[in-house]
Amino acid sequence: MAEQGNGGRSEGPADKAREEFFSEAQELVDGLGRDLLTLDSGVKSGRVDPELINDVFRAVHTLKGLSGIFGATMMTGVSHELEDVLDELRLGRMEVSAPVLDVVFRAVELYGRLLSAERGDGPAPEAEVEALLMALGGLTGRGAGAEASPVAQYELDPGLLGVLTEYEEHRLRSSIQSGLNLFKLRVQFPLATIDTALDDLKAKARPLGEIITYLPTGGGSDADAIELEILMASREKVATVKRELESPNLHIEEVARRHVGPGPNTSAPMRPSVSPTPIPSFEAEPGTALAQLHSHTPGTSIAPPPEGAKDVSLRSVSQTVRVDIRKLDHLMNIVGELAIVRTSLGAMAERLRQRPELREVSQELHRVHRAFDRHLQQMQNGILEVRMVPLAQAFDKLARIVRQLSRELDKPVNLVITGAETELDKLLVEELSDPLMHMIRNAIDHGIETRNERAEVGKPSMGTIALNAFQKGNQVVLEVEDDGRGMAQSLLISSAIRKGILTAEEAREMSPREILSLVFRPGFTTREEVNETSGRGVGMDVVKTNIARLGGIVDLSSEEGIGTKVTITLPITLAIISVLFVEVCGRSYAMPLTSVEEAIAFDSSMVRVVDGRDVMTVRGTTLPICSLAKLFGHPPASFPSHGFVAIASVGNRRLGFVVDRLVGQQDIVIKALGRTLRNVRGFAGATELGDQRVTLVLDVSALVDEVLAAPGDSRVRAHGEGRAS
Amino acid sequence: MSTLSRRAHGASRRASTDGPRAEYLAFKLAGDTYAVRIGSVAEILKPPPITDVPRAGRSIVGVVSVRGRLVTVVDLRRRFGLPESAGDARTRILLVAAGGEELVGLLVDEVLQVYRLAESEIEPATVLGGEQPAHIIGIGRPASVAASAGGRRGPETVLVLLDLRPVIEL
Repeated sequence: MAEQGNGGRSEGPADKAREEFFSEAQELVDGLGRDLLTLDSGVKSGRVDPELINDVFRAVHTLKGLSGIFGATMMTGVSHELEDVLDELRLGRMEVSAPVLDVVFRAVELYGRLLSAERGDGPAPEAEVEALLMALGGLTGRGAGAEASPVAQYELDPGLLGVLTEYEEHRLRSSIQSGLNLFKLRVQFPLATIDTALDDLKAKARPLGEIITYLPTGGGSDADAIELEILMASREKVATVKRELESPNLHIEEVARRHVGPGPNTSAPMRPSVSPTPIPSFEAEPGTALAQLHSHTPGTSIAPPPEGAKDVSLRSVSQTVRVDIRKLDHLMNIVGELAIVRTSLGAMAERLRQRPELREVSQELHRVHRAFDRHLQQMQNGILEVRMVPLAQAFDKLARIVRQLSRELDKPVNLVITGAETELDKLLVEELSDPLMHMIRNAIDHGIETRNERAEVGKPSMGTIALNAFQKGNQVVLEVEDDGRGMAQSLLISSAIRKGILTAEEAREMSPREILSLVFRPGFTTREEVNETSGRGVGMDVVKTNIARLGGIVDLSSEEGIGTKVTITLPITLAIISVLFVEVCGRSYAMPLTSVEEAIAFDSSMVRVVDGRDVMTVRGTTLPICSLAKLFGHPPASFPSHGFVAIASVGNRRLGFVVDRLVGQQDIVIKALGRTLRNVRGFAGATELGDQRVTLVLDVSALVDEVLAAPGDSRVRAHGEGRAS
Repeated sequence: MSTLSRRAHGASRRASTDGPRAEYLAFKLAGDTYAVRIGSVAEILKPPPITDVPRAGRSIVGVVSVRGRLVTVVDLRRRFGLPESAGDARTRILLVAAGGEELVGLLVDEVLQVYRLAESEIEPATVLGGEQPAHIIGIGRPASVAASAGGRRGPETVLVLLDLRPVIEL
């Protein structure tokens, strides 16, 4: 067997590099998705940030390079075509519109699957890639015919226009279209200080408008100076610009408008060959801009070589390190081991204290123990903190799905997200993605009505899905709420009966709450036909099981005609939880404190039977109880004469678990049970205590559901004994 | 497939073409001798304290912790429907990989020795006639004691060769 944990696993350098590729590519793809969403809302509100298109272009360009290096040919192909489309958008040759973004969104979606395929986690989506390439090709084909340039309306030097890069030309055009005034600035800078002087001028010009380009004129009176011609767009009048930029060697004039229509020379705007790298904005990298300036004017060898530009490209700006989550798990395991060492150290110090002659040693050991304890605590918190990521990582993907589905189903939906900054254990965020996706799909497909239906009941045509996250104590609450049609109890019942989940007699005895919880039954669906979106019958029961595995609870409320709300409550971190150890029939179990309200003494004389269910009275209220021994099939199956009741509360349901003994409370590192035990209900995982013994951690939520769902006493017993023994 | 596992795959293929013999670990179960490919066994353990899992399948004894990892332990006697035994000092747990990162422990009566079997020493499961369970892949008949390391059994040894994958699919 290999060394324990995954942190110590040895990997070849090739594997490591590949892992790096996957994580970097994944990050880029996630970033792409985010930028596209911003772009999408920009398109809707009519304000498109050109820098955002540049960002998207750069990300795709980097992906192309990365995938090329690692031989991910399909990704390279997609990136190549996508880059072409983005280039058209960037240069303003194609309009940024919803249909174009649809295709780009599809590409980002496909990147995710291509990455999985590269990892060997799924089949390569060849057909989709093919279709996407067609769609991308179609876009660029359409975009080829550029409209007549408005630039021609201005008296601009053709020599200047001829050396504009495509990007600059685009900025010039859009400035003119926005009705800005154009100014030509002529300025002389001493060679020695050109960098700083140019920066100063740019800083002064920025509040006024945008510098579109600057070029050396090749003229100038002084050999130690350089004259630049600067083209600037601004909302201000010429007088204001002159006043603000006032400087000794600066001459400013407004570019006049021609009073004729576009001339024949404007139909073919000059385009220098497209450089393979994205063109940096002048604001960001002055060094690079200077390098460009050289290329425009090969004759004038001036200014020192732009060394800065080279450094910038090699040095990474990022201060962050990507870490495999398994390495953190490994560290967490070590912390767990150290906690055991700490306990024995404490016990040792305690023993020494009994011996008067070892008093001094004992005191010193106590000090060491305390320091060890404190630092271990800090280390534990530190690692837990590193594992925390904002929920935005999961929410961004959901926003994409909402957009896609609402277009596919023609149900306009506004997704309102709050609390995306709420932090949660990385593993939890990952595990949440799929359940949340199911819920969002259900909300759009089943919840939100069609346009017509909404109009008939007087709801706004745009449906709303709220995705809320907030922290509550040491738990995080997630809500998915829609303002759709809600769930009709009668429909739920008839569907359940049709699927054979329920008999008509059973249905008659159900409370509204029990009827709602039908959606969590395996195989339940209200849809007759399976569609692309949902209705495949793997919905809410999978959601519930997955959330329970994470130690969380799913709750559902729905009002017909008003909407549905699903609430998920989760512990903030998976790694460490506080538990209450209980003992029953000589076996020890751990109950997460998040679901235990209190524990009180128990006497078998307290038990009453109401409607076939064991209950007791606690401070004037009735509490259903069950024997943990009976639930797990440990003999004897009756209540102990004396013991304790651990009162669990899950949502608004309460249940008392009768146990023999309370052992104590402790923070533990919880570990998942293997796949071989995946069908065993009622356990969230297990933990190892100091003595190498494993203790099972109860899935209290599942057990409460199970006991309360069983009508009366008989089914619990059958369930408990059926698989045990 | 990662580069590492691809490499491992290639290595094992090379080994089988270099030498026709394959190594099997033999163990006893209710009086019979079984054997599995040595490569499928990660480790042999003396049973640590086992925590039983209520409601788990009949053949699952419980879970143990092996250096911080949770391992589900399966009683092979129960799995094969053989008479149960309380176990004794010779009882061992074979740790085998169960797909992904997971390890499963198999409880056996006693671990015997490693046999190096040539293809000629392996009969297909079909010699047993009729339908055989998927986990029996053949019968091993080591030709001589010399062929095995420190063997203490005669040439009459009969090994039931197991494929562990269907065994741990529970």
